[in-house]
Amino acid sequence: MTAFTRKNADKPPMLVYDKVRKNYGNFTALDGVSLHVNAGEVVCLIGPSGSGKSTLLRCTNALETIDGGEIRFEGRPLPVADADMRKVRQRMGMVFQNFELFPHKTALENVALGLTTVRKMDAGEAQRRAMALLAKVGLADKTANYPANLSGGQQQRVAIARALAMEPHVMLFDEPTSALDPETVGEVLNVMRNLADEGMTMIVVTHEMSFARRVGNWVVVFERGQLLEQGPPQQIFEAPTTERTQEFLSHLGWNG
Amino acid sequence: MNLDWSIVWQSRWLLLEGALVTVLLTVLTMLIAVPGGIVLALMRGSHFKAVALFATAFVELFRNVPLLLLIYWAFYVMPVLTGLGLSPFATGLVALCLNVSAYNSETFRSGINSIRKGQTEAGLALGMSRSEVFRQIILPQAWRRVLPVLASTWVSLFKDTSLVSVIAVGELAHTAMQIRSQSFRVLEMLTAMAAIYWLLGYPQAKIVDWIHRKYGVRE
Amino acid sequence: MEFDFSPLLDSWRFLASGLGLTILLSITAVISSLILGMAVGLGRLYGPSWLKSILVFYIDSMRAIPVFVVLVWIYFAVPIISGHTFAPFWAALTGITIHVAAYVAEVVRAGLTSIRKGQSQAGLAIGMSSSQILRHILLPQAIVRMLPALGSIISVTIKDTAIAAVIAVPELMRQAETLAGQTYRPIEIFTAVMVIYFLLIFPVTRLVDRIYIRVAHLGRS
Repeated sequence: MTAFTRKNADKPPMLVYDKVRKNYGNFTALDGVSLHVNAGEVVCLIGPSGSGKSTLLRCTNALETIDGGEIRFEGRPLPVADADMRKVRQRMGMVFQNFELFPHKTALENVALGLTTVRKMDAGEAQRRAMALLAKVGLADKTANYPANLSGGQQQRVAIARALAMEPHVMLFDEPTSALDPETVGEVLNVMRNLADEGMTMIVVTHEMSFARRVGNWVVVFERGQLLEQGPPQQIFEAPTTERTQEFLSHLGWNG
Repeated sequence: MNLDWSIVWQSRWLLLEGALVTVLLTVLTMLIAVPGGIVLALMRGSHFKAVALFATAFVELFRNVPLLLLIYWAFYVMPVLTGLGLSPFATGLVALCLNVSAYNSETFRSGINSIRKGQTEAGLALGMSRSEVFRQIILPQAWRRVLPVLASTWVSLFKDTSLVSVIAVGELAHTAMQIRSQSFRVLEMLTAMAAIYWLLGYPQAKIVDWIHRKYGVRE
Repeated sequence: MEFDFSPLLDSWRFLASGLGLTILLSITAVISSLILGMAVGLGRLYGPSWLKSILVFYIDSMRAIPVFVVLVWIYFAVPIISGHTFAPFWAALTGITIHVAAYVAEVVRAGLTSIRKGQSQAGLAIGMSSSQILRHILLPQAIVRMLPALGSIISVTIKDTAIAAVIAVPELMRQAETLAGQTYRPIEIFTAVMVIYFLLIFPVTRLVDRIYIRVAHLGRS
């Protein structure tokens, strides 16, 4: 097999996880995880439930704090001070498994909220940008809907638009399609693929193996808080180097 | 401001008696108002329009007027209605029972309604009669939801008994206020009254919290 | 058994002034209880630990002490301590506010803590500060969830104003007592006043219920 070069490997990585450790009481969620993410890469984190993939994602934007090691974003370790971390969060976008749209605001208001409160943008300008983003995810006609009047797939697309509004450098997806009906999974994966094609750096925790195979540039396999193996999709899905990875994939019914 | 707290110690037996009357009123009221509430809740669900309407009117009336007014009203109306001369204690008890039965009926009604219809249907499908279904299936499940609310109602009732003091029932508030008038030790007696209610009520409130934690149903 | 409702017609102005005062006292007490209760609820959730302990003590104490006792203490005991007399209306307003605010604080707390953690995390994820999250995301949803309790807060407050009769506030209950004593027609008068209170309280709780049904989905995340 010819050596595989990762995207933008000649430039410094955007995110570096250096021996990251995280405990919940006696339970070790992350046990010295080291990996890096280059600009423009779509990195997919896969593995059984409870293996630490979501935890790593939430540590990335400090929704959870790490107990050991270091996370470096654009060359600098994540700041400790709240006000500084807030600024860093503005450069990262997160999409949650259960969307977490704000129920008391319309789709448009959900997308514009970050712009008006955090960026202190003028309301008219914020609305214009929100409109454009909702059109981009295919929801130009639903801007006045409240989340209660949107399907799961539509809500998740609004959530993606909301994260994009802040013009992040990296998008973090935490099992974005796990809570969706099978019919609507496709529309969300499409939006994500378009985003990838535009060159957005993405870290995606997912069980959608076909997405990881077709859109991912780099796949990381987790098990029990450790990295089992990592590599390009062709390697992981067609010729995994560890038995455990093979077992995991065949458990999911993945037949290559 | 010269204070003499010894009056509190001197009146301790009177105050204890008052507190016991308070407890007695609370216990008796609940003994009557819990079955009363169940009966009213069943009447509201009755298929006979007149019965349901009467029960609804009863409940809405006694939930939406001040208890103090109810106490005065009972004091003047009862002798005329029943022809009996009821003691202040009995009158106060009647007013409290009317009020708390109305609250309890709402508690039971929402507790019963919160049990899924499917449960009743399953029981009927087994061939049980409606009253058997109610007793064996609905009521035991409804208790879990109803108990925390009844506990809170108990604590409110305990405080509300203070209002029957206005018709000279010898419970704690009336006793303390009397001693205050007779001894002119206003600050001491009023503070003692508050303190005794606090001592009695605080543990009850904590027990209610425990019951809510233990039996509370999360939505 | 004959009934004579004429004293009601003769003295309707007397009762009406009582009703006016009841309404005034109710409105001001509801507003001040909501403000104080919101402040206490927020302090209890987000304040420093010493403040939390004080506020929890205050809230639990109001669950134990009857409003009658609070009113009577403020009206009779405070003047002794401070040397100033307390006008009945203000004593009643203060007492009812202190008592009801504790209940409001618990409703505020329940409303805020019932919101899923994910909502504040979503706010954090777009870079919002804790106070922005509270203001834009949590409080609006909490207020919607509080509406059903708001109905009962208002109705409890109106009923508590009747207790102010005991400290000589000339609201409706007091006027009714006075009139009954003067005219020896307690049954007619108290029955009529019961109807008035019912007409006052019943629509308010129904209205709040209706409003809640309309806006409930805004609080459901």
